Amino acid sequence: MYGNTYDGGSASLFSGGGFMLSQATQTTDSGFSKSRGTQNVLSLTVKQISEAYHSNDDKSNFAVDGVEASNVRLLGLVMNKAERVTDVSFSLDDGTGRIDVNRWVNETSDTNEMDMIQNGMYVTVSGSLKGFQGKRHVVAFCVRPVTDFNHLTLHFLECIYVHLDNTRPKVNLTAGAVTSITNDVKGYQPPVSNQFSTHSGSGGSGGSETNIYMMVLDVFQEPASLAREHGLHVEEIVQRLGLPIHKIKSNSYPSSLCLTFIYLLCVRVYSFYFVLFRDAIEYHVDIGNIYSTIDDNHYKSACNG
Amino acid sequence: MDTSSPAVFVNAEILKMYLGRRVRTVVQVLRNEGAIMIGQSTDGQQLTIKGSQVFPPSRFVEVIGIADGNQSICAEICTDFGETFDMQAYNGLCQLANGKFKNLFL
Repeated sequence: MYGNTYDGGSASLFSGGGFMLSQATQTTDSGFSKSRGTQNVLSLTVKQISEAYHSNDDKSNFAVDGVEASNVRLLGLVMNKAERVTDVSFSLDDGTGRIDVNRWVNETSDTNEMDMIQNGMYVTVSGSLKGFQGKRHVVAFCVRPVTDFNHLTLHFLECIYVHLDNTRPKVNLTAGAVTSITNDVKGYQPPVSNQFSTHSGSGGSGGSETNIYMMVLDVFQEPASLAREHGLHVEEIVQRLGLPIHKIKSNSYPSSLCLTFIYLLCVRVYSFYFVLFRDAIEYHVDIGNIYSTIDDNHYKSACNG
Repeated sequence: MDTSSPAVFVNAEILKMYLGRRVRTVVQVLRNEGAIMIGQSTDGQQLTIKGSQVFPPSRFVEVIGIADGNQSICAEICTDFGETFDMQAYNGLCQLANGKFKNLFL
């Protein structure tokens, strides 16, 4: 099976490995194929792959930003293409580095697909990441020429997006909620993994931060906020969501001393919230939910009203 | 795997920081002066491209090569990116790839 051919394949160099797994004749005894069903394809740069953590058992276990990276998507220039009877190999240069790519050709359609690929051509490669004797390479299941070069920009922006999404502290609930709001960014179901538990390990602050992220976005998405040309000022967000100082002040308190104390406390809490909200706003700007308008203090939701 | 000679995403402004290094950028061809191509960078400045093949004016061309001057690149690989290309998005990518997310690229 997979493991056997891999181990014994030093002479025949990976023969029989790769995407035979995807064929229906394979059984699911190898754990890997099981995980493949639930795996997402991560857009990555070669630089990220070179730094990916590789757990050294004989299965291909790579992790980038704490997320399992077995299926990857790369985009770059084809170099040193070599054709053999059973496979085609080339080196992919994406500008951040080079990685060897191997594509098994079993069917005529595979051969046709690979015939189109020439040296110096930009291609998108989808495949699985393998490590063998310390060397990393990609076994491709799809190699397509790039025809619209905006895909190059898009690919690298996707790499940034995926990195950002996988490194932000958050809980599972938000992952779903945020993607449902940003429904124009399709195709990413952020892998739900236990990385978050390690990330937000600092005394359960992860949960409350998440709520603040959601609360901030909710305010931006109110119809009244959407209607305003310049969006909302950061101060307004703090006033809306932070401790409502004016309400506390307007309540009658027994003594002026007590009032002063509460007021000072409020100011402390207020500045604390201000930092949190700033962070939340920066997060939403990074993932594209909101954008700055007239200056760095005004933000507006990217969703149409 | 080899990450020893990356090509940095640059616009004209960022190009200056990588003199002597391998860079990549997209220009819109303005004119050809003999063996030299003059192109407009994604941030609206003029760049001189040496050693490139000739591309007709107004086409978008990706240049990978060595930054050999403040506004000049000695080309290794030129790729025709066609007649339409979003320069603004690419310019944004250059800024991100040299700012907050530099570690993904270099």
